[in-house]
Amino acid sequence: MSRPISPASTTSRRRRLTDRLGRWAVMAGGLSIIGAILCILLFILLEVLPLFGGARVERLPPLRPECSSALALAEDEYRSTALLLDADGTVRGLSLDDGSEIGRWALPLEDGQHLRRARTAVGASLFAALDDRGRIWIVPYTFEVRFEGDLRSIHPTVGQAVAIDPWPGTEPDPRSIPAFVAGRSPEGIETVAAVRGGEVSVVRREGSENFLSGEMEWDETRYSLPAPAGLDTLALGPDHRRLFGGSRSGALVVWSLDDGPAEPALAPAEGAGVTAIEVLIGGGTLVVGRADGSLETWFPLRGHDGPKLVRVHRFSGQRGAIRSILASQRNKGFIAIDDGGGVGLYYATSRRTLWTGRVLEGAPAAAAFSPKADGALLLDSAGLYRLSIDNPHPEISLRALFGKVWYEGYPAPSYTWQSSGGSDDFEPKLSLVPLLIGTLKGTFYSLILAIPLGVFGAMYTSQFLHPSLKRVIKPIVEIMAALPSVVLGFLAGLWLAPRIERSFTGLLLALLLIPLAVAAAGLAFDRLPRALRARLRPGTEVLLYGVVILLAAGTATALAGPTERLFFGGSFTQWLVDTSGIPFDQRNAIVVGLAMGFAVIPIIFSVSEDAFSNVPRNLISGSLALGANRWQTVTRIVLPTASPGIFSAIMIGFGRAVGETMIVLMATGNTPIMDWNPFNGFRTLSANIAVEIPEAPFGGTLYRTLFLSALLLFLLTFVVNTLAEVVRSRLRRRYANL
Amino acid sequence: MAGSRRPVSEVIGITSTALCGGALALCLLLVAGLLGLLLYHGMGYFWQSPVVELTLDDGSVVAGEIVEREEIPSDDEHAEARHRIRLMVGNRDLTGHDFIWIDESRIEHATYPEDLLLIERLEWGKFYGRLQAIRSGDQVLAADPRAAAAAWPALHARKRRELKRIHRLEKKEIGEVNREIENLRLEARRLDLDGVADDDPRRAEIERSLLARRSHYEELAGRLEERRRAFLREELLLEAADGTEKAIPAGHVVRLVRANALSTWGRLALYRSRAAEFLLGEPRESNTEGGVFPAIFGTVMMVFLMSFAVSPLGVLAAIYLREYAREGWFVKIVRIAVNNLAGVPSIVFGVFGLGFFVYAVGGSIDRLFFAEALPTPTFGTGGILWASLTLALLTVPVVIVAAEEGLAAVPRIVREGSLALGATRFETIWKVVVPAAAPGILTGMILAMARAAGEVAPLMLVGVVKLAPAMPLDGHFPFIHFERKFMHLGFHIYDLGFQSPNVEATRPLVFATSLLLVGVVVAMNLLAIWIRNHLRRKYAGAAV
Repeated sequence: MSRPISPASTTSRRRRLTDRLGRWAVMAGGLSIIGAILCILLFILLEVLPLFGGARVERLPPLRPECSSALALAEDEYRSTALLLDADGTVRGLSLDDGSEIGRWALPLEDGQHLRRARTAVGASLFAALDDRGRIWIVPYTFEVRFEGDLRSIHPTVGQAVAIDPWPGTEPDPRSIPAFVAGRSPEGIETVAAVRGGEVSVVRREGSENFLSGEMEWDETRYSLPAPAGLDTLALGPDHRRLFGGSRSGALVVWSLDDGPAEPALAPAEGAGVTAIEVLIGGGTLVVGRADGSLETWFPLRGHDGPKLVRVHRFSGQRGAIRSILASQRNKGFIAIDDGGGVGLYYATSRRTLWTGRVLEGAPAAAAFSPKADGALLLDSAGLYRLSIDNPHPEISLRALFGKVWYEGYPAPSYTWQSSGGSDDFEPKLSLVPLLIGTLKGTFYSLILAIPLGVFGAMYTSQFLHPSLKRVIKPIVEIMAALPSVVLGFLAGLWLAPRIERSFTGLLLALLLIPLAVAAAGLAFDRLPRALRARLRPGTEVLLYGVVILLAAGTATALAGPTERLFFGGSFTQWLVDTSGIPFDQRNAIVVGLAMGFAVIPIIFSVSEDAFSNVPRNLISGSLALGANRWQTVTRIVLPTASPGIFSAIMIGFGRAVGETMIVLMATGNTPIMDWNPFNGFRTLSANIAVEIPEAPFGGTLYRTLFLSALLLFLLTFVVNTLAEVVRSRLRRRYANL
Repeated sequence: MAGSRRPVSEVIGITSTALCGGALALCLLLVAGLLGLLLYHGMGYFWQSPVVELTLDDGSVVAGEIVEREEIPSDDEHAEARHRIRLMVGNRDLTGHDFIWIDESRIEHATYPEDLLLIERLEWGKFYGRLQAIRSGDQVLAADPRAAAAAWPALHARKRRELKRIHRLEKKEIGEVNREIENLRLEARRLDLDGVADDDPRRAEIERSLLARRSHYEELAGRLEERRRAFLREELLLEAADGTEKAIPAGHVVRLVRANALSTWGRLALYRSRAAEFLLGEPRESNTEGGVFPAIFGTVMMVFLMSFAVSPLGVLAAIYLREYAREGWFVKIVRIAVNNLAGVPSIVFGVFGLGFFVYAVGGSIDRLFFAEALPTPTFGTGGILWASLTLALLTVPVVIVAAEEGLAAVPRIVREGSLALGATRFETIWKVVVPAAAPGILTGMILAMARAAGEVAPLMLVGVVKLAPAMPLDGHFPFIHFERKFMHLGFHIYDLGFQSPNVEATRPLVFATSLLLVGVVVAMNLLAIWIRNHLRRKYAGAAV
């Protein structure tokens, strides 16, 4: 473009102003395109980034309640009140806003008796405490939420405490009981277990209401379990079916409580002594803390003979011996507190250490994880320390997204996508690998069809077709490109899929017969008298090929039945199941390949047609003049010269297939499975977004994970398209030089 | 050379060439086959085929329309091939299913009785049977088939009028009162939010008009109830093929077709009437019957809103690239950006639209201007505006590429002539180049609209619904309701074909909808191609 002639002398100021404004407006328009693409990229990135941020833990100013010897703590889910169980047998209600006392309850302890140790079972809303006589108190509590208008107030209450004596009549010294545990299952079974000298005494009580008197009647069973030496800690599974223990020697043990006394399964001693264990919500993961500060997760798996324990992961751990482990009631997260007052926040599934820091000077007297896992309370002689935890996406890590993860209840690590489940303790499985594989699988099967048809069709169009015919073909291909994918998906899913299922043999036969028939037709056409051929425009034989293809397809359909009877015993799908065990899904990768191939063909076709047509005429003429025939010229001169363009075409086609949504949504079963078998379905990244984002809560982990898959799609197509564009512009320059 | 032996290389060349030609032919066949399939099934949806009455070997009688016929798969290869037919038997309320398979060998004989009727109803789908009588409550209006047939047309016309009146009452008057009540509720809520005192006179005013509206509503509801009762008073007494008797409210009959007694003209008139119902009617029975008018309307309106957003942006960008920017790394980046924007999967735009337009922008608008309606979102949920803007982003590369092509086709001498006559750069572009490039720009807009009309995946995230309660355009201020959700032909196809409980029965309707959508998209593309060719010819003679 030449520079404009300066119109300064002849134009008025207003016109010059308009000129300048116009220029700015137009430039703004041009820049807005870059702005748009950057905005999309940035926005999606911003939505994704919080996934990988750690937890933010804030230390709130400590409170100094006047209780010297609290043993256990509990907090309500709005984190405004707390209950403290004191060694003298009183429970104090405490406002966390100002530390004032808001209630006081006393346990019916005999005079002079004290509680020695206590722990909180947050899930069951109770304290369990050991008294001087070796009895175990179960102290249920509730936090009642009341609303007055928009004002919320929390009223803690303590229910009736019960003392359960694991060794009736013996009054053992509490110091001889190194560990005890108590809980109440959702079904109302109370289980108490305590260790003393080589045995674990288990008491199970099941209450039922007497329908005459309305009183509770308790059905109690007791038994004792053999315990390994040095058993120091106990933990109870939330459904009360398993009891776990850890010993000073470093060994772990698990009992099945289902049917009375049973032999325990042992995990041999390794590492330092076990100082704390806890079961995470759902009961499938055991967290083990050791004397050297190391932390591990273990799975109780079902072996050939009862349960066995398998170590899943070892966290980097903390400095001092782990004193207590607090399990979250929301997810698979937990807090570990060590001797030196160090606190760590971890997540089992993603194996992330989300936060570590030192909160206290030494080991806490008591600690509690808030019911919503958004805070923690730690108590020592100096005061009550409060942590506020903002931990929105603990379940995401690069490993959780792209690596093999061992999920609870699975026999081995796996790549799994299962974003939501029926119960509260469901563990989201957010591996993107099955979706990536599904995406590539769909793309692969569609390109198998689209590349040969698109590239060879384009080669024929540009090299062998009369220009007048070309002018008809190109709009047809454009129409093909414009067909809405929802229509293709509909036809593939509801029309094509059942037909392919019924006559897969027909498709195989057609694949074989059509090329043969077309080749034969080509040879036959070549035998026609030269005079006759000369009167036809080059390329008219395409019509002949069309007829031949129809005939071949018809023959294939007709032969399908007999062939199937002859080779596959009457039914291909049955044969497939019988011989290879692969079930034939009606909506499978082949159907998707055909439909998506149809969508990709016009893209590959038009880009490679461009590449073929732009090969300089003089190269072709030169080759022909030197005696090469048409085919030789095409394969030796045109194809190599245009090959970068074809590469571009395939790349662009790939980009289209990767992101296609409606076809895969409608023509596959959308099951996120991982294999390359053409006879079953898959789920792609794009279809997954369409399926799951309507149910994903705004700002949640699933929502952001879906944004991450959109980002992946964006980047994938971005790379592929940029590559294609660069190759094409290089090619254009090369043609220009030729 | 014919007849002589050819060298192997040449034979390979010929066969390979033929295979390439075959690839092209197959592509063309695929397009033709697909369009043909859609045409056949889509157009066939409105055609009335004869209703057959079959007597089976166990003496039972069934009536319906034959849908397909297939060979019964058998393991015995010597046996004579046997066939079975699929019969659409309707009468879902009596039998519980729409289709049955019948072995041909079980059919004793088939007849096409003229008095066998097909009745299209508002509920329960089709009914096949014979008209016996018409009654109104306990009173018999027509006692025998002949009298009933004679009385039917007048009754039908009356019932249609009544139905229209009921709809008007429901939609217009009761809808109006409901809207007023809702507005008053929001007004009261706004007073709450503004901290207006409880004894403020405005509150009493609102309370008063609320009471008035409620009593008006009660009155209207009573009237509606009365009309409904009247509407259902007359009943057709029908007898199904197997002798079961069934009474259908006359008001529920959409159409009563003597399928076997139709003349060719009658058949065509029926075809026309059904096609009109399809194009202009409201959907019923959760979209599985009736028309697709709201979906057509939603699609068209969304596409137009989109083109308002996309055209200025795309055209300005094209002018910038073609007329202002100097070739360099910056332009190269812009071009790569444009190409990438064209290659980004549509679902990614949907995700962006959901996160940015709906939650970020829409959420802010709600907090600022529609706080009284919260927590029910107004703009903070999918709507036609957000859908249009999302698709505008998606289609802007189409406009840019086509407009650029159009600008490039304007010969340089035209520009230079204008500049030489003293016009400024902007004047040259605005008054000379752009008008000359208008066909190219138009092509781009049409292509963008065609693309937007066919796109579904992003819309599913930003505002398309299965059944929209209200159109985005109506007679109530502010007339265009940008925040409303809308229906879309493409989504209609997805929803009907894959989410509906009775996929088999709705498939013909999906074919018709697909044909409509493909027809619109293809027509727009052909128009664009025609304009482009026209443009090429216009400047074919101009030098450089």
